[in-house]
Amino acid sequence: MSVALLVIGAVGMIAPFLWMFTTSLRDASHAYDLPPQWLPTEWDWSNYAGAVSGPVPILRNMLNSAVIAIAVSVGMIITAPMAGYAFAKLQFPGRNSIFVGLLSSLMVPAQVTIIPLFLLMRTFGLLDNPLSLILPGITGALGVFLLRQFFLGLPQEIIDAARMDGATAWQTYRLIALPLAKNAVSTLGVITFLGSWNAYFAPSIFLNSTDTATLPLGLVLMLGPYGAGNVAQVMAATTIAIAPALIVFLVAQRWIIASLTQSAVKG
Amino acid sequence: MTLTAPAVKQPPAPLKGRGGRPGHQGAARRREALTGYLFTAPTVIGFLVFVLGPLIAALYLSLTKYNILTAPKFVGLDNYARMFRDERLATTYGNTVLYVAAAVVLINGFALLFAVLINQRLPRALTYVFRSAYFFPYLVALVYVSIIWQALFQKDTGILNYYLTAMGGERIDWLNSSEFSKVSVIIVDTWRNVGFAMLIFVAALQEVPKDMVEAARMDGANEWQVFRRIVLPMISQATFFNITITIIGAFQIYESIIVLTRGGPGDASRSVVMYIAEVAFNKFDMGYASAIAVTLFLIIMLVTIVQFRLRKSWVNNE
Repeated sequence: MSVALLVIGAVGMIAPFLWMFTTSLRDASHAYDLPPQWLPTEWDWSNYAGAVSGPVPILRNMLNSAVIAIAVSVGMIITAPMAGYAFAKLQFPGRNSIFVGLLSSLMVPAQVTIIPLFLLMRTFGLLDNPLSLILPGITGALGVFLLRQFFLGLPQEIIDAARMDGATAWQTYRLIALPLAKNAVSTLGVITFLGSWNAYFAPSIFLNSTDTATLPLGLVLMLGPYGAGNVAQVMAATTIAIAPALIVFLVAQRWIIASLTQSAVKG
Repeated sequence: MTLTAPAVKQPPAPLKGRGGRPGHQGAARRREALTGYLFTAPTVIGFLVFVLGPLIAALYLSLTKYNILTAPKFVGLDNYARMFRDERLATTYGNTVLYVAAAVVLINGFALLFAVLINQRLPRALTYVFRSAYFFPYLVALVYVSIIWQALFQKDTGILNYYLTAMGGERIDWLNSSEFSKVSVIIVDTWRNVGFAMLIFVAALQEVPKDMVEAARMDGANEWQVFRRIVLPMISQATFFNITITIIGAFQIYESIIVLTRGGPGDASRSVVMYIAEVAFNKFDMGYASAIAVTLFLIIMLVTIVQFRLRKSWVNNE
């Protein structure tokens, strides 16, 4: 009985993706045939070719998304562990108040800062430029918080021993502490990448041409108002767009789940 | 490596806590402080430039009339007073509160139900498959899942209506009727977020001591009593976390509506964030848009603070 409920729920979760994939492989004229087909009956990849050669430069948009997401995650996995380590393991005046100040930024919704950020980017000529999304993305309180939690759990003796052996603060961090944080840093990198890859709100405001658009913007353009676009091609493009999430999901599901749930339950 | 420059000049003093020799201690402490500031500098600068500065600027802009072309003109609380007369704001805030209420009840209700079911003694592989299936939509961009759903919701060609009519029901105009446009938004929001909340509940349920549950059963408690009196209080921290996250998330609901209904018909499904974006970036009424955004900020801050305070008093921390 309870398994039946779970199966119904799971089918509901996966069915829309299955429909997307099946539709992407059907000839456009059959895309809306009813009753719906759940498994691919034909393996026609022409919609994929059509999607990437249509009026919206989907491949270009994908490249834009990738550049931004990679830049943002690389920046984040450099800045956040350093700050997290300092807040956990180094003594300096104002340490706790700075940390609390940073944490309070988690309460500031993107919608309240977007107007001043738009004006800022406009002043520096960064509108319609990937830097408008990269620069604000390479630092962030959440990553610092996650890494601080990790470093707090690191025994102080390890740090002290390295320092006694004559390592500088940087060496202690870079050669001893950071390698131990490999899993936490990878998780942060993956979460940051996906967050950027999936982002819509800020890109929709900072970017306004099809050549600079990120993939989510490109797909919305392709869909057109009121879903008027060629549905088979739209689903082909969506399948491509979802691929990174699927890969992350298959490869890294376990530790993403672990790190996401940890903070809530252990608090 | 350039970051180490100040620290490399001399061999570091033996840093044995605070107990070293006084002369070396001061220097070592200063060096450690400097390192601390250097390590946190990028994050702090990012915070000042991209969060705190803009936040202060938004508070200031909310007190001005500003259309980008001419300099902001200070108007005091006019923008805030204007909100009370703005019917579109009332509509969009009303819709948003509905989305929040639905999110809290539906996401957490379904999440808890599925979490309890998954937490039973199931074969390991099955647990894994279910957990994965429920979690996957959460990793996919809301824009992408909304694109899929808007096709499923189509009145004449969508498969939802196909099955509905096949079962003898009426076709529903999911995206273009003023009631069902909201329902569609709620369905997609619930469907996408239930998996994350469920994982939080599953993790919390696994922390509930089995012997406690067994003991209660031995004492003759039925399943509902065990759940209500033992399990629910033990997972209160996770519940609280989930409710807070769903409230904050639903107040910011945006792109799913853009894809599904474009806010329509009229303003029937428009959220307050869509309204802010429209006022700011279509009408360039930056001052008024900032004022609305500030109200959203205050709500989210309040929810966060309340959760932080209550978490200490209410929640069973064990």
